[in-house]
Amino acid sequence: MNLYAGQVLRVDLSKGEIAKEPLREEWLKDYWGCWGLAVQYFHELVPPTTDPFSPANALVIMTGPLAGTLAPTSSRFCLVSKSAHTGTIFESNMGGAFGPELKFAGYDGIIITGRADSLVYLRIKDGEVGLEDASAMKGQGIFKTETLLKASLSPEAKVLAIGPAGENLITFACVGSEAYRQMGRGGAGALFGGKNLKGIVCRGTGGVRVAEMEAFRQKVAHWTQTSLLTEDNLWAKSDGTPILVDVTNEMGLHPTRNFSLGVNEDHAALGPEAVGRAKLADRACASCPLGCGKFTHINGAEVEGPEYETLCLTGSNCQMNDLEQVIRFNRLCDDLGLDTISTGNIVALAMDLTESGRHDFSLRFGRPEDYLAVVTEIATLSTARGRDLALGAGRLAEKYQAQDLSTEIKGSEFPAYDPRGDYGMGLAYATSERGACHLRAFTIFAPDHFNIEALAQDVVNGQNLNAIKWSMCFCDFWGTVNTEIMADLLTAGLGRPVTAEELIRAGERIWNLTRLYNLKAGFTAADDRLPRKIMEQKLGNGPNEGRVFRKEDFERMLQLYYQLRGWNAEGVPTKEKLAELGLQPL
Amino acid sequence: MAKHLLAFPDLCTGCNRCAYVCSAVKEGLFLPTRARLHVQNFPLHGYSVPCICFQCPKPECLEVCPEKAIYKNEAETVMVDQEKCNGCGECVSACPYGMIEVGPDNLAYKCDYCGGQPACVEECSPGAIVFVEPDQEQKKIKALQMKHRSTSGNPDEKRLERAEVFLKEARPARAASA
Repeated sequence: MNLYAGQVLRVDLSKGEIAKEPLREEWLKDYWGCWGLAVQYFHELVPPTTDPFSPANALVIMTGPLAGTLAPTSSRFCLVSKSAHTGTIFESNMGGAFGPELKFAGYDGIIITGRADSLVYLRIKDGEVGLEDASAMKGQGIFKTETLLKASLSPEAKVLAIGPAGENLITFACVGSEAYRQMGRGGAGALFGGKNLKGIVCRGTGGVRVAEMEAFRQKVAHWTQTSLLTEDNLWAKSDGTPILVDVTNEMGLHPTRNFSLGVNEDHAALGPEAVGRAKLADRACASCPLGCGKFTHINGAEVEGPEYETLCLTGSNCQMNDLEQVIRFNRLCDDLGLDTISTGNIVALAMDLTESGRHDFSLRFGRPEDYLAVVTEIATLSTARGRDLALGAGRLAEKYQAQDLSTEIKGSEFPAYDPRGDYGMGLAYATSERGACHLRAFTIFAPDHFNIEALAQDVVNGQNLNAIKWSMCFCDFWGTVNTEIMADLLTAGLGRPVTAEELIRAGERIWNLTRLYNLKAGFTAADDRLPRKIMEQKLGNGPNEGRVFRKEDFERMLQLYYQLRGWNAEGVPTKEKLAELGLQPL
Repeated sequence: MAKHLLAFPDLCTGCNRCAYVCSAVKEGLFLPTRARLHVQNFPLHGYSVPCICFQCPKPECLEVCPEKAIYKNEAETVMVDQEKCNGCGECVSACPYGMIEVGPDNLAYKCDYCGGQPACVEECSPGAIVFVEPDQEQKKIKALQMKHRSTSGNPDEKRLERAEVFLKEARPARAASA
């Protein structure tokens, strides 16, 4: 087969059985791969009311058709499941090198159901696949687990692993790979832990075929030169995501002091120059010419990162204007297996609760001591404070009546862009299928941050484009990739014509399918909401000082969004829209 | 003076595009384990080492080949005449760098500089692999890299052993706790 491996692994952890199944080729023209294909597999397998921690929940790991090829930034792959953190269907994707390795081993994806009786790992060596005892790795961090799993199979093997946070079922626990890459959001780590799956190790010595290698290489070279390695995207090579520290501060939507301010006066301590001074090396995911990873080192602390979200949410948002401390916090999260976006929000919330006198967590903005200790406490549930913070912002706020202070939607803590400074991000967060997320639509570069009509359309377009983009899968940082480029590469790879039109239609289809799933799981338009803080509390400083995102404005924007999507006033896709996309109505 | 491939591990980001394109050119599909160069990745330490054939001035592979199937062309590139190769694998054992292997077709294969325009160099965005007439400084760098020789193990093991030496030099504190 061209591009695809043509095979998926089915792992039933309850029975300890593994099967190899042909890829559902009839789904490829509508869902393509990665996100789209994983959603299709998932919704056929798991009823929407399934408890995320039940053995009946499935983990669908899926690569895209271009994974394992020279198509630049194509190594990303995803996991789709039902989240214990939000209760929604969710997709979580990751770079690194595991995706291509799985392809080279001969599999487009892995579908995992059931729950093992005791801690196991999945071992894949080309055609040889088995479940092995992982008791020796119980409680180990992700770094050590990865080292042990590679030693057991091959130094060139690639690993997915969880740390103690995932084993302890912290609902925002992540899966780690290649040390510093994660499936960050939605709690993939907790779902691995809930299935007693410590990790997956894979070595693949096969290859990926294309229809016409010469033509494919020419297309790759052409689009790499004319689209990828252009000014719009080269920030990733030169500075990496830390550049956004400067950008968002200038725009005045940089979350600071638990989302009470829009500018961090001390952001230079966490910005691209500071990271540049600490940088030892540039790092890249497999297949990527950009190399956005910045491996940094200060006073014996090192990490690949910190990325923008971490710099803001565990830095500015906690008023920890100290890059060394943020590097240490980041490294702890990466090793213990916690999502830094969620953890940063939660720690800042706890700081706010302490300083406002509402509950003393002994955490204060800008104070380094307990700042690092609390990460371990959360991951290991070793203290009352750790167990409280492990609830996540939604449940923590509920416990201490702090819904006016928290920043989450459907339980997912906010990424590092304040909606009071850009209404598009507010709508994007509220309508993301997995709760507040910046990787569905991203509007901060729109010419008018508050034009409701234009931004509602931008959010629809962004979501549809990203749905097909994460089905290829291409990296977010190829910002200028479009469906014309995707169609051109797929045409050369598959040896049959693919059109931009069918790809964007697939994006819209994938988006509607996730919407249907969430509706059947019990979510309604009422869950497409903003937190009270954003609607009622004025942003405290900067270009957007005094702004709120008023409920009436948001409701108007949401209704406009539903109309643009061909959904009714309750946010349900109409029969006509579903028929257009070839989907079954609710 | 002929051009040679030079590798600069400190610049390597670990993207593996070199191995992908090499296998595309030589094997017709993306199959990096059969590329004629390899990248050893140490993601925890933020370091990668491109392992290239040094086209040795006095190649061990050439010297041990019982069929005289290995020779140097006019560009000083060490080549395998696959017509003469009997797949005995003596070259594989002899190479101190793990850079010649025997394929599933029972024939030895190695880097041949793609006839003078190495595809890997064109793919290397960070410039960690270059194809140049080496100047004095570059000759010294190459000589230092060639000093680290592996005397036993299969090619994978030899490359890893050598790469760990470079890792230790580049990341002294962390490599100790690897």
